[in-house]
Order: sequence, then structure tokens, then C-alpha cells
Amino acid sequence: MPVKFIKIEDGKSFLLERIMYTRRYTLSLNRELCVGCELCRAACPKEAIKVVKPSDLADLEEPPKRITVTVLEDKCNFCGICSEICVFGAFKQSINDEENIPVLASESFPKIIHEVKIDESKCPPNCKVCEEVCPLHLIKVNFEGGKVRVDVDRERCPGCRICEVKCPYDAIHTRKIISGLIKINSELCPEGCSECVKACPIPNVLSISSDGKVNVNDLFCIYCGACRNACPVEGALEIRRTAIYHAPVKSGAWNKALERLTSTEDMAKELRSKLASRAYDSVRRLQMGGRVRR
Amino acid sequence: MSEPKPEDIRIGVFVCHCGKNIAGVVDVKDVVEYARTLPNVVFAIDNRYTCSDPGQEEIKRAIKDYNLNRVVVAACSPRMHEFTFRRCVAEAGLNPYLFEMANIREHCSWAHPSHPKEATEKAKELVKMAVAKARLLAPLEPIKVPVTPTALVIGGGIAGINAALDLAEMGFKVYLLEKKESIGGHMAQLDKTFPTLDCSICIEGPKMVDVARHPNIEIISFADLVKVEGYIGNFRVVIRKNPRYVLEDKCTGCGECSPVCPIEYPNDWDMNLGVRKAISVPFPQAVPLVYRINRDYCIECYKCVDACGPRQAIDFDQKPEEIELKVGAIIVATGYDIYLPEEGNLYGYGKYSNVITSLEFERLILAAGPTGGHVVRASDGKRPRVVAFIQCVGSRDVNKYPYCSNFCCMYTLKHTIQLKEHYGDDVDVYVFYMDLRSHFKGYEEFYQRAREMGVNFIRGRVSKIEEDPKTKNLIIHAEDTLLGEPIELEAEMVVLATAAIPAKGSEELARILNITRGTDGFFMESHPKLKPLDTPVDGIFLAGACQGPKDIPYSVAQGCGAAARAATILSKPSVTIEPIVSVVDPEKCRNTKVKCGICAMKCPYGAIRAEPGKPAQVMAAMCHGCGTCVAECPVDAITQMHFTDAQILAQIDAALENNPEDKILGICCNWCAYAGADLAGTSRFEYPPNVRIVKVMCSGRVDRDFILYAFKKGAGMVLVGACHPYDCHYIDGNLKMKVRMDALARALEKFGLTPDRFRVEYVSAAEGVKFANIIREMAAKLREIGRDRIRAENEKLRPHIERMLKGK
Repeated sequence: MPVKFIKIEDGKSFLLERIMYTRRYTLSLNRELCVGCELCRAACPKEAIKVVKPSDLADLEEPPKRITVTVLEDKCNFCGICSEICVFGAFKQSINDEENIPVLASESFPKIIHEVKIDESKCPPNCKVCEEVCPLHLIKVNFEGGKVRVDVDRERCPGCRICEVKCPYDAIHTRKIISGLIKINSELCPEGCSECVKACPIPNVLSISSDGKVNVNDLFCIYCGACRNACPVEGALEIRRTAIYHAPVKSGAWNKALERLTSTEDMAKELRSKLASRAYDSVRRLQMGGRVRR
Repeated sequence: MSEPKPEDIRIGVFVCHCGKNIAGVVDVKDVVEYARTLPNVVFAIDNRYTCSDPGQEEIKRAIKDYNLNRVVVAACSPRMHEFTFRRCVAEAGLNPYLFEMANIREHCSWAHPSHPKEATEKAKELVKMAVAKARLLAPLEPIKVPVTPTALVIGGGIAGINAALDLAEMGFKVYLLEKKESIGGHMAQLDKTFPTLDCSICIEGPKMVDVARHPNIEIISFADLVKVEGYIGNFRVVIRKNPRYVLEDKCTGCGECSPVCPIEYPNDWDMNLGVRKAISVPFPQAVPLVYRINRDYCIECYKCVDACGPRQAIDFDQKPEEIELKVGAIIVATGYDIYLPEEGNLYGYGKYSNVITSLEFERLILAAGPTGGHVVRASDGKRPRVVAFIQCVGSRDVNKYPYCSNFCCMYTLKHTIQLKEHYGDDVDVYVFYMDLRSHFKGYEEFYQRAREMGVNFIRGRVSKIEEDPKTKNLIIHAEDTLLGEPIELEAEMVVLATAAIPAKGSEELARILNITRGTDGFFMESHPKLKPLDTPVDGIFLAGACQGPKDIPYSVAQGCGAAARAATILSKPSVTIEPIVSVVDPEKCRNTKVKCGICAMKCPYGAIRAEPGKPAQVMAAMCHGCGTCVAECPVDAITQMHFTDAQILAQIDAALENNPEDKILGICCNWCAYAGADLAGTSRFEYPPNVRIVKVMCSGRVDRDFILYAFKKGAGMVLVGACHPYDCHYIDGNLKMKVRMDALARALEKFGLTPDRFRVEYVSAAEGVKFANIIREMAAKLREIGRDRIRAENEKLRPHIERMLKGK
């Protein structure tokens, strides 16, 4: 029986289904959450993800307003890496309607850690600064019976750290998921272009200064690369990701994804540190009276 | 035997009635009378069946009584009985190559039944042509070549398995080549077998294991056949082993790698109903039990490498590997494929989720299948309460596959019985059929059993199926031809018994092996009755469904039969091959004086060596006897035994002695065009009787001079018939002929020849219709051009032809 593929897309969503008799694989993308960044395309081991501009999808009924991605059904193998690497939580994968990311279960791909720690005891009543500053509206502050409860939709948090920096009471601790560097070569920028500023999902990371040049505020940048996808000139915008915060894992697929997301050197660095930590662990085991191999 | 002088040649002509097959159209007595008038014919007689014992005895007696030194039999096609008569004359002490045949059945009486007068004239001329060649025949000694006592079996289905096991048991080394990862073929996919309902893999599995364990059998799986060269007893086979990325000698089949793999992909062995891991075996009983990584899906997480651990069986750097084997015989057992009517969504297949094929149903009802043996619907996962089976989907359909697929009736009966056994009265089963064919041991009883179990049989073809969009049930519209009224039935699942079709890659395989396929696409046997396992290529045999759809017992029988056929070659230290090879005249060869070597360059087999300063040399054992070098030699220094220039020109002479401008002279290759003309006769496709065919082994033998000579003799039309471009039995003799003929056609046109008068056509052995059509077209054109214009053109051509033929 031919494997059946169903592909439904509009400006707001994209859905790809692979149906094998009674087994159904579903990969869905919420385009309202997708910011058109580089992460899923770079991480995909099968080159199944293509970055598309609104003009590429012009024949859809309601074309998306910003750059987004599409999945090629002849290449996708429903491994779920895109779902995990998307720090905005725009991708969801399920098998027979149950959320399922096969590469996580087998530890072929690490869990990406979205770290937002909140010490609610420090929160005074009626302070809603974090809720107000979160650019993606992921924080909800509740006051119930004199107690403060802060709910964060962590899966969708890309870790810009705005909440931490803005919190007046030092109640929030976060950690960037992606570390890196960003640089604008203004001399290459076309006159009056502000594509990168418009594309950036985090406000105030990129801005146009009075002399018409693009300014970068590295502090809040999440190095997702949405700006680079939008930039019309090759080389005008440089991003170098150096590390990704993730649960430990030993997987060739991750090493390759990491290499594509960062660079060969950074990938090698992570491998070296893993080796070092393994050596450290074994020394610790010895010290703690573990068996010594002769 | 010393060469007799021309006046000492004593030819006997034996004209066969073939019952009424020849005598019903051709006036045999008249042909005999005519034969007696031909020079050197000292004896002529007719016989009702020349091929029968008394007929052969008559020939032997005549050879002795009349001291004959040449024999001509005018009867059926030489492709049929040349061998019989050669043996007959040899028994009488004559060299077997001093025998010639005139084909007055396939090429005459069967092809021109409505024109007995013209047919008789044609028969006479065919005898005249044969006598003309016979006069120039020379005795030849067969060539003996050694035999490599190993066999290659292509295809590891149940037919190939049995062929391999039998040969191995006889003591021959066998290579069993399988394209897929595991041997087993379709039988390993089935749940139960009819009519005994025993479990398919339970009876095939042990055989598969026997194959793997047999010291004389080497399984080469997940590999493709790349090239086959050589000839009977001495084939050189090149095989490409595809990388599994798991080392065969290190994988223990423990299966620890598979569970840690995160990636699933559709398992085509499960008809894509189920999934397998990116590192897996297609099914648990696979032989050889070696895992494989599908790199199309693998994400290279190397979890399997960890799981494999110290066994170190996984090698991501494995490359395709080409190996070379030497074998003496080849058995083709490549089986069939199942037609998937997704194109055009026949009966809603591919569009409606509850319409499936029988092989998919097989995977559903199999306990080890993707649904654990539960027959469920794809739309909702529920068990269907009404199941309808539709027979002859694609089969017996003139627009798809006109033949009967042989086993569908029986497996549908099996499915209905299985459904009834599983679910009893809880399921209603309907079968829509055209005819139910249950014609082997125990099959009719099986049909009765299905009827007794309450299966409803409705005779009639289904016109269309619609889906209820809400329930996803299927509404079947059909006609009950027994009641003569239209009916409508709502079923919850529809199972299509789709056609069995030639396996994918059959075309390429046919090309590699130089074997022919019929119009249905299955491989063609040498003779439908007497050589059902042989191919036209000596040393290559067929077994199982690759020759046409067959059920398991029939395939097993054929596998064993083909093994026995192959053993007839392998058990002997040497085989004799026909001595129709090329011979170089060192006196004439110009390679001694100038750098020539054209023959060596054109030889499809590299059988000619042309060292500078020495005459070219043909290595007889490597020469296949196509004659391409003979036609290419610029100084006519090469002769093909039994197909010499003189013999062929004598045949042309004889054919064109009377009224040449009314005639079409055909030169056809033995394997395709001549066989196509035979088929036209066998199928009784009538065509005009003014064609005279000269047989050559390969169209590559067709010398420019033959065409020129024919026009010089005043021929109305000339046809060169060859195999289709890549079907040549001598690799590419036909293509070399084409190049030569295209150049000649241009020259002749320039000199004033109407282009239609010289044609080169590709006709396969299966294209009787095409052959008849070509002759009809050419005859019509001949009439249209008219005798006068042809004569005038020929006159105009004559000086040019004389010049081109000068010195020959």
C-alpha cells in the first residue's frame, strides 16, 4: 500500500501526516509561534526543512506574514529533532495523537533545557514586572490568598533573560539556551533596511540608531538567527553560536546537529569537555572506593 | 570427408505435410516435383510427418540408397526442428552441418492460408533457396569447451530456493543471488497456504535455513546482478553487493541494535502497513539474519554502535562491492510483483482507506503482522462486519493485463475461509468474480468448503465503488450476471485481488542475460510445451513465476526441474558449442600490412586479437558466431562458418531469380526478427506472400554487399530485421548493423532509391503482429511504387552498385 502523506498548510499552521494503515505520524508547526529562525533547518539531519518567505507561500489562502519554514514530506523521517530544537515550541510531533519525540526516548538527541528558576518567596504582592516585560507573554503572575505564584510556559521560552534583568527583586534566575556572538557589518547594510529589526522576536535586541545604523544589544539576544534569514545581504549580519544548553547525551546525531548549529570547533569543544568530565567521573569513582581495574 | 566437386553434390529434398498444417495450404506434391528439377537434387519426396520416426528413417534410408551428401527438409521453422534433423543426418553418417531447412510452415502455409497458389510458389522458392545454400554447405566439427561446475540462481523465492537446494544436493556449488535483504520471496509474506491452510513461513522457514546451512550454497543477498558474459558452461557474472552498513561476518543477528534505534520507516515487506527501524531485518525469520541500516532514514546517532558493543558489526563506511563469479549455468527465478492500482485509483484504491489489496490483507490476518492478526479497517481501526472481495483486478483486463494471474481465485477462497474461521457468523463475506478457477488437486474441494461456510459468491464485474464519507463504508455497484440484474452492496472493507505482474527490473535482467520476454512482460520459455524451463540462451533456465504467475507447488516443481536441467550441463566435463564461428583468411587480412584491427574493435565479445603486423586471429571458444566482424571487414577476409557470403548470396540469388521487382527480400536475425516472423505464422497473422526471408544469426552479420547485391538483382524491397536496440543477443551487433545500414541508406537515396524500398526494423520474438504489419505496409508501398518505376530505379542504381561491389 502506498504510504499516505497528508499535508495541510496555511499562514497560521503547517501539518504533515504520514499514515501507515493504522499508525499515524503527525508533525505540526504553529506558524504563529514560528519566528522564522535557523534552528530547525540547521538541526534537521535529513535536510527536510526549508526556510520559506511569505512570497513563496503566496498561493496559500492566508499567507504567513513573516519568514517561516516548511517540511518536505519526501525527506522527513519524523525523528522529532525539529520539535525539540525549536526553542519557541512551535513544532509538535505525535504518533497516533500522542506526543512522541522518538529521539528523546532513545537519547539520540538531548533534551534542550529551558531554565527559568523563580524564587516566589522574594516576590512582593502586586508586582507583575516579569509578566509585563516577557516579550512572548509566557509568564503569568497569580496572587492567591496572599501567596504569589508565577507560572511560566517554559517549553516556549527561548531564554532571552529579559525577565531576570528587569526583576527588581532578584527573584528570577535564568540561563541562556544558546550562547554566542552577534555582529552587524553596517558598511554592508543597504540604505534604510530594517529587515533584521523587524524579524527579531525579542524587542530591543536590534534597533535602528539615529544615524540609521543597526545597533545590537547582545544581552538579550537568543542567537536564533531569524535576523540572518531576513537579511538581504550575505555577510551583513554575523551570528556565531558557541554552545547550547542541554541534558547530557552521547549521540552522533547530536554532534552533527551541534556542528551545524554552532561550528566544528565548538562541537569539538563540547566533545572534549565530555571526555574530560568522563575522566573526572571515573577518578571520582575511584576515590569513592569503586573497583579498580587492573 | 573431402570436398565433393560441384558435380558430385547429391542433394535430397524432403517436403513435410505436417498433417494438414502445410499440406492444407501448400500443394506439397507440386513442391516435390519442382524440387526434383533443381540442379544437384537427386532425390525428393514428401512425408506426412518428416519429424516423426518413420520420417527420419526415410531420410536415413535415402542418404544411404541415393548416396546423398546434402539434405534439405522443407517443413517447420528451423528454430523448432533443425536440431532434430541434424541429429538424424548425423546418425546416417553425414556431417550434421550438411543439412538445411526451408521454413514452409511458419513462414508460408500458416502465414498465407488464403492464398494457396502464391503460398505454393513461395514454398517452392524457399526450397530453392535452401537447396542453393545446401550446395555450398561445408562439413563442420563441433567445438568442445570445458564446463565450470557451479551454478547461479537469481532470486531466492520458493522456486529459487528449491533450485539451489537440489543443485547443492547433487554436489554442485551454488550461488543464490537475492536482490532483497532476505531470501524467502513472496511465500514468506503469506499467512497460510491453500488448500491445506498450513502456515506459510512455518513450511518455508526451515527450507530457508537449509539453504543458509548448506555447505554448497552461498547466499549473496541485498545484491544486484550487473553483468553476465560468456556462454554455456562458462559464464562470467559480475554482482554488486549493496552496503548494509552491518558486516555480514560479524553480525550475530542478536537484534540488540534495533530497539535502541529511534527511527521508524515503512516496511515494504509488510506492504507498508507496518514499520521497521532504521536498523533492522525485514522480518524475524530473515535469512541471512543480518541487520541492515537504511541510510535514507538513519540520523547517525550511533546508538546501535553502542548496543552492538564489542561485536563491532556496524560499519558506516561500508561501500558497494563488486564481485565476480564463474558459473556454468544460470537459473532465473525472479518471481513476480503485485499490481498496485494506485494510478487512477482503480476501485478507490489509494483514495478510500478501506480498500486494500489481497497481499495487504495477507499481512493483516497474519498473527505476526503489523496488526497482530486483527483484521481492522484503516479508517477507524475497527473490525469490518461485511468484507467484499473483488477478483480479476487488472487481470483479464484488455486495458491492463490481459492474462489470468493464476492464483488469485485460490487465495481469495483462502481469505474467505480464514475470515469465516476467525469470526464465524459475525462477518459477512462476498466474492465478486468473473470465473472461479480451481483446477488443481484439492482446489475444487476448497471452493466447496468456502461455499459451505456461507461465503456469498456473486458472478459479475464491479462497475464502481463509492465511499460513504461519514462511515467510510464502501458502496459497491455491480451486475449479477447470473440473475441479470444490477446490485448494490455496502461493505465495510473491500479486498482487491490484483494482478501478478512481471517483477520490477525484469526488463533490465532480460537485457543483461539476453533472454526474451513475452508481450505480457514475463520471461519467455524456449518452447511452451517441450522446453518450458529453457530460455533461448543455452545454459540459462527459468523457474517459477518469472515465466508467468504460478502457485507454490508449481513453482517448487519448476525450481526442481530447472535444477535438473542445469545439472545436465554441470554434470559433464565439457559441452559442445556450435562451430558457426568466424575464421580469418590470413592471406587476405590486411592487418599484416597496415594498421587495421576493425574486426577486433567491432567484436562484441573481444574474441579477436589483431596484433600489429600479424593477421587477426579469432579465439574460437570466445566467438559467439554473430558475424559482425565478417560484415565489418573491409577486405572480406573473414568468413562465418555456415553463414558464408557465398551461401547467403546464393540464397538471395535464388530468392530473386523470378520477378525480383515484385518481391521483398528480408534478412532477419535468428533470435528476434526471424522468431517474430515465426510467431506471426504461429498466431496466423496473414501477410502478403511476396516476402522471402534469409536467416542470419545476428543482424550484425548483414553485410552492405547483401543489400547492394539484392538491388543489383532487381529486388523490389529489402528489409533488415533485428532485435530491439538493447535486446541484441550478441550485445550490440544490431547497433553496429544500424550504423552501417544508415550510411548505406543515405548513399542509395543519393543515387535515386526511393527511401521506402530499404528498411531496417526492430522486431522482437514476441512481435508477430509487428512483423505482419511491416510486411503489409511494405507490400502496399511496393504496389504503389509500381514495377516500372522500380525497374527504372534499379537501372539507374546499377552503375553505382557495380562500382561499390567492384572486385567482389
